[in-house]
Amino acid sequence: MSTAERLPLTDRPPRSVLFRLPERTVDAAGFLADAARLARTLPGRAHVANLCQDRYWFAVGFAAALLRGQVSLLSGDPSAGVLGWLAQQYPDAYVLTDRDHDLPPVPLARHRIARETGPSGGMPMPAIDARQPAMIVLTSGTTGSPAGTRKCWGELVARSRAAGLRFALKEGAPAAIVGTVPPGHMYGLETTVLLPLHAAVSVWCGPAFFPADIGAALDGLPGPRILVTTPLHLRALLQTTPPMRPPERVISATAPLERALAERAEQAWGTTMLEIFGATEVGSIASRRTTADAAWTLYPGVVLSGPDDAPTASAPWAEPRRLGDLLERTADGRHFRLIGRTSDLVKLGGRRASLAGLSRILTGIAGVQDGAFLAPDDLDRTPTARLMAVAVAPSHSVASLTHALRAEMDPVFLPRPLVLLDALPRDALGKLPRAALLAALTGAAPGTALG
Amino acid sequence: MNASVSTATPSPAPDVQLPIEAEIARLIVDVLHLEIEPAAIAPEEPLFREGLGLDSIDALELALAISRQYGVTLRSDDARNAEIFASLRSLSRFIAAHRPA
Repeated sequence: MSTAERLPLTDRPPRSVLFRLPERTVDAAGFLADAARLARTLPGRAHVANLCQDRYWFAVGFAAALLRGQVSLLSGDPSAGVLGWLAQQYPDAYVLTDRDHDLPPVPLARHRIARETGPSGGMPMPAIDARQPAMIVLTSGTTGSPAGTRKCWGELVARSRAAGLRFALKEGAPAAIVGTVPPGHMYGLETTVLLPLHAAVSVWCGPAFFPADIGAALDGLPGPRILVTTPLHLRALLQTTPPMRPPERVISATAPLERALAERAEQAWGTTMLEIFGATEVGSIASRRTTADAAWTLYPGVVLSGPDDAPTASAPWAEPRRLGDLLERTADGRHFRLIGRTSDLVKLGGRRASLAGLSRILTGIAGVQDGAFLAPDDLDRTPTARLMAVAVAPSHSVASLTHALRAEMDPVFLPRPLVLLDALPRDALGKLPRAALLAALTGAAPGTALG
Repeated sequence: MNASVSTATPSPAPDVQLPIEAEIARLIVDVLHLEIEPAAIAPEEPLFREGLGLDSIDALELALAISRQYGVTLRSDDARNAEIFASLRSLSRFIAAHRPA
C-alpha cells in the first residue's frame, strides 16, 4: 500500500505576494484566508463551473473548491451549448460567478461570490491529495460535442514547479506577471492562477486587455516584469506602443509566433521573447526563445512518446495525452521541431477544435441540409484569421445561421465568411475537395453572403 | 440609455444611424471583415455576443482602429467599458465625447 502524497495549496512563504489587485496586494496567508472563507460558504456539490471573470476571485474560487474536494469545470467560453451540455453531464454542478453578468439560461444553480476579505494568518497550510481531481477542462472535442479532460492536483502542481524551473523564477527577486489571457483559459489558468501558488511570481489582477491597460499595469509593478500574452495582443501592443516601461520578458502562447514579430518585440523593448507550446488537453509542455531556437525544449518531467505524426505527451501525475501536432523529435528526446498540425485540427484564440466536429454542429442545426467548415491557408500565420464555412440552408439567412451557431460553439470559431450555396461541390464519392470548396467560397456572388 | 436626454433634444430614433454612427459602422465592418452592410447595424442592438456576435479578438482590433482613426484610447479599468461597447450608439457617443478637438 502506498501512502497518498499530499501537496500544499501553495508552497510560497506566508508573507510573499501572490496576487496584486489594484487596491491591495495579497500574500500567501491572505490568499489562504480568502479561499478558506469562501470554501465555508460553497454549496455541498461535487462539481463547480467557475465562471468568475476577475482574475483574483477566479483563483480564490478555484482554491476554495479544491479545499472542499470539489472539481472545477472550466470552459473558455460559456456558450449556451456548452453550459447546456455541462448541465446534462454534471447535473449536480453549480455556477460560481463574481458578478451579476448575463449568463445564458441554463438549469444550473448559481453561487455569487461575496468578495469578502478579512484577517489572515495563523492557519496551517492545507495539503491536498495529489490524486484528488482538481479540474475538468472542457474542449470542443473532435466529434462536435464537448469533451472533458480531467486534471488532478498533482499534475497542476508539478507543471507549475516545472515552469518555475524553466523560467528561473526565484524567491529572492520575485517577478511580477501581467497576463492578457483570461483565467478560465488553460494558458491563462496555468500562468496567472496556478503559477504564483508554486513558483516565485506575483500576478497582476487588474485590467490588462487594451494596450493602454497593459502599459499602465506594467508601469505600476515592482521588480522584473513578465508580460504573458498572445501573438494577437503582442501585435496590437507593438502597433500602438502605449507609453510604458517595457517588460523584461515576454511569453507568448496559443498560436505560433512569427519570428519577425518576436524580433520586433525584442528590438523595440530590449526584452527577451519566449514562447510556450501547449494545448488545453495537455497544458504547457515546452518552451523556446523564438528568435534563437528553431526547436522547442520540453519542460522538466514531460516526455514525448509514440510516432512523430501522432505524438503522446506524458507528465507527472497525468495520464498520457495525444497531441494534435506533427513533430520531429531530436535524438535526445528533449527537443522537437513543429512540422504542422493534423489537418482536421485547428487552433484559434488558443482553443482547439476539429473541422469535422464544427461541420457536424453546422449540419445539426435545424434547416441546414449540408455544410462544411474549412480553414484558410494563413490560419497559423495570421493572428486575426478566421475559419470559413459554406452551407445549404434555404430557410436561413447568414445572420440567422450565425445566430444559431453562436449558441453551439465558441465564438472564435464562428465562420467569416459564411456563404450560403444551392449545393456543395461534392465529388462523385460525396467528398468535399478543399480546392472546390475554396472556389465555391470565393466564386459566390457577394450578394449571396448577405443575410 | 435615454434616461439623461432632456425633452429639449429629441432622442435619436432607435433604428436610424446618426452620421457619426454610420461612419463608425463602416469602420466596424471594414476592420472586422463582417459580411453585412454598415447600414444593417442597428444603432441600439448589442455588438457583442448576441446581436452582432463580436468577441474579444474583435474588441482588440476595434480598439486599435478607433485609436488610429479618432485618437481615442480605450481602457477597461472601469465598469463603463461594457457600457461603451454595448451598442453602436454607445460606442459612437463615447468616441464623439473623447476625440481630440
